[in-house]
Amino acid sequence: MSADQFVQYLVSGVTQGSVYALVALGFTIIYAVTKIINFAQGEFVMLGGMLSFTLAHSAGISLVPALILSVLGTAAIGAVLYLLAIRTARKASVVSLIIITIGAAIFIRGIAAQLWGVEAVRPPFFTGDEPLPFLGALIRPQALWIIGTSLVATAVLHSFLSYTMMGKALKASAISHVAAAMVGIDTRLTSLAAFVIAAALGGLGGAVMSPLTLTSYNVGVMLGLKGFVAASIGGFKSPLASVVGGITLGIVESLAVGVDWGPFTSAYKDAIAIILLLLILLLRSGTLAAEERAG
Amino acid sequence: MSQSVLEARNLGKTFGGLVALDKLDLAIETGKITAIIGPNGAGKTTLFNLIAGVYTPSTGEIRFEGMPVNRISAHGRAAMGIARSFQNVLLFGNMTVLENVMAGQHPRSSSGFLEGALSLPKAHREEETVSLKATKYLNLVGLGIYAQQEALSLPLGQQKLLGIARALATEPRVLLLDEPGAGLSTIEKRALGDLIHRVSEMGISVLLVEHDMPLVMGIAQWVIVLDSGKKIAEGTAAQIQKDQRVIAAYLGEDID
Amino acid sequence: MLRRAKGKWTYFLVAALLLFSILIPFDWFLGRYTSLVILIGISTMVTVGLCLLMGYTGQVSLGQAAFYGTGAYISAILSKTYGVNPWLAMLIAAAATGAFAYVIGYPTFRLRGNYLAMATLGLGVIMWILFRQLSQYTGGPDGMAGIPYLSVGGFTFNTPFRRYFLVWFFCLLVLLVSQNIVRSRVGRALRAIHGSEAAAESIGVNVTQFKVKIFVLSAVYASLAGSLFAHHLRHVSPQSFDFLASVKLVVMAVIGGLASVWGAVFGAATTRILSDELLLRFGELDVIVYGLILMLVMVFMPEGLFVKLKDVVAHWRLRYEQRGTKS
Repeated sequence: MSADQFVQYLVSGVTQGSVYALVALGFTIIYAVTKIINFAQGEFVMLGGMLSFTLAHSAGISLVPALILSVLGTAAIGAVLYLLAIRTARKASVVSLIIITIGAAIFIRGIAAQLWGVEAVRPPFFTGDEPLPFLGALIRPQALWIIGTSLVATAVLHSFLSYTMMGKALKASAISHVAAAMVGIDTRLTSLAAFVIAAALGGLGGAVMSPLTLTSYNVGVMLGLKGFVAASIGGFKSPLASVVGGITLGIVESLAVGVDWGPFTSAYKDAIAIILLLLILLLRSGTLAAEERAG
Repeated sequence: MSQSVLEARNLGKTFGGLVALDKLDLAIETGKITAIIGPNGAGKTTLFNLIAGVYTPSTGEIRFEGMPVNRISAHGRAAMGIARSFQNVLLFGNMTVLENVMAGQHPRSSSGFLEGALSLPKAHREEETVSLKATKYLNLVGLGIYAQQEALSLPLGQQKLLGIARALATEPRVLLLDEPGAGLSTIEKRALGDLIHRVSEMGISVLLVEHDMPLVMGIAQWVIVLDSGKKIAEGTAAQIQKDQRVIAAYLGEDID
Repeated sequence: MLRRAKGKWTYFLVAALLLFSILIPFDWFLGRYTSLVILIGISTMVTVGLCLLMGYTGQVSLGQAAFYGTGAYISAILSKTYGVNPWLAMLIAAAATGAFAYVIGYPTFRLRGNYLAMATLGLGVIMWILFRQLSQYTGGPDGMAGIPYLSVGGFTFNTPFRRYFLVWFFCLLVLLVSQNIVRSRVGRALRAIHGSEAAAESIGVNVTQFKVKIFVLSAVYASLAGSLFAHHLRHVSPQSFDFLASVKLVVMAVIGGLASVWGAVFGAATTRILSDELLLRFGELDVIVYGLILMLVMVFMPEGLFVKLKDVVAHWRLRYEQRGTKS
């Protein structure tokens, strides 16, 4: 692989990895605040892309409003998911909650297939598709949008969590629901907020990614899986680690496909994330202290 | 001086930045009823969980009948002869009263997947034995008539006794009781005290963490006092009650 | 949970069911549904394992189709391509799949938190990719055909009628073995884990080890089912073992009831019939229905549909009996 090609693969890896990072952030925030693994996370990304396609392409709405509406729409669906499925389940066991979110995920997938069909769709590019020169390689403007949006979203999230009342309430809930409730924080509200934020992040990722990578009703599963892997790297606690994990995964995937390894074709690309997950499990499992198990 | 059934040397536990226990040395005498008391936050529960195997020590070691047990898991310790009760009881809600006690016989029985799957005679014989022994322990705590009831249908006081019966069914040499008196009425506490005496007479060493002073002073043959992660005094109940350091540690605390 | 004494009713019901089941494959009875009922039996075997897993370890497997598929493909490849005795192939497949589950399960169950769901989802995807990509062994996306029938001595299971009894023999075996396990000391340990993991540890139950063993058991059941599947259809392809297949299995388990053994039959039957009917009339809509079922059942009857139905029936029986004694 020449230097130019390497940079090309690196860029494409960072681009894809930025999307994984957004998904991972969504997982992390929901898990941290509610201790639930949200299997519908990948579907939020899919919805973001689908909604922006319908709004920007079919309805002809201009870019910025379409984007905002897509994100809001996805966030609303996240809220509905929480209110209808999660909150009504009350004291559900962990197993029940996992199955509920899985049910929600395939439900959303099924509806999407009905509404948008099974063909892939592509919303319009934000600023066209003229490749720009970059370190000897060419980068498509949409890729810059993806990377830029993810960075901005992460920064905004960080500020939100650190400097606003709601953000601090979320952090408090993440540490302990009981303690948070005792200082007057409505933990049902913070849980709802977590879902809304995660859905918004996912939707944003989807809206900004789909002009480049296309989207269809079934992209949710693998995106969710890869976002989960990225979030696992951070132990579901650190947003920063999730972002780093996401980008790393993107780069590893991209390079693995780029390097000619013989039998290792691009069909195996998806397997990389999974193998990484299994490796993480093995490593974590081995270095585990007794109290994590017993708690 | 009889041998210590449990010994801690230089035992310490830190959680993040918080030092819950600080280089503790103590010895629990075999066959005696020992109580661990101290104001809130003294580290009693941490010590309890370290002995039970729920936490791993940050420093030092614990020995059970001379054997180091740091590396042995909670379930391993149960098999070795260290049994415990829980402050919030943690009964098996999906079983009857008797089945809960039978579950306690787990480390003293051995039928595995194969024997169970094939419903072998050995498994059935073992079930008979387990059932008989469990009934014995159930009667010991006075709950024999409730054997077939759902475990969670019992009132709290009796649930606690059931938890103790379950722990006894593991045929331990040490019984760790975590605030057994919490939430009990005066009559129930007296019955608890009697039970603890009977357990002690069976040759089982009892170690209890407790807040209730009258209960402790009534049954404990030896009292260890913790404060802020350190041992500040130990002695007989009478000695402890007069110990200045103990009184000072409890100042500002409600002694009930 | 209501405890019903075994009365005359239960024995009568069991006898009736037994008679009914034996008569199904006859042409003059329900013979035309034989293939469907065979598939129900095969699905039941996988579902029982899943029910035990979810019910007693509190973790979900989203990739059970991986074990199902591994059993099917190993049986297919060994018996067709390498001429291995199909029964031996089935045994090898079960052992290999079980070992596989052990390797995945051990590190996963040692961790707190719910990693099994994603790990098994990932596993399902990897196996599906392998089934498609290793075409020289598996026949690629089109799968492989010409898998031999199972036979004992000179007797070959080459008609649906014969295979019906073969599959249900295995299915009943799995059900009875599982029932025995649940009622044994091991079953009590599992119920203890389900009740309170901390308390289970305190009575000497090695929680992690039990969870791994149940996971391995569920994988072995799935593998056996997969082998029978291969020798029934005589053709296997990756489509039967994708993510949706794993989801359908979870739906079966949810309807049947987590931690329920016999409920698995109900769950498998309902889902199979539902999916065949739905697929017939509504095409892609079946996914929406599955999603709804999962959400609704888990929100309103987390013990599972079948268990809830049993409770309702018992409740009505009690009221019926009370009314009888009043007059």
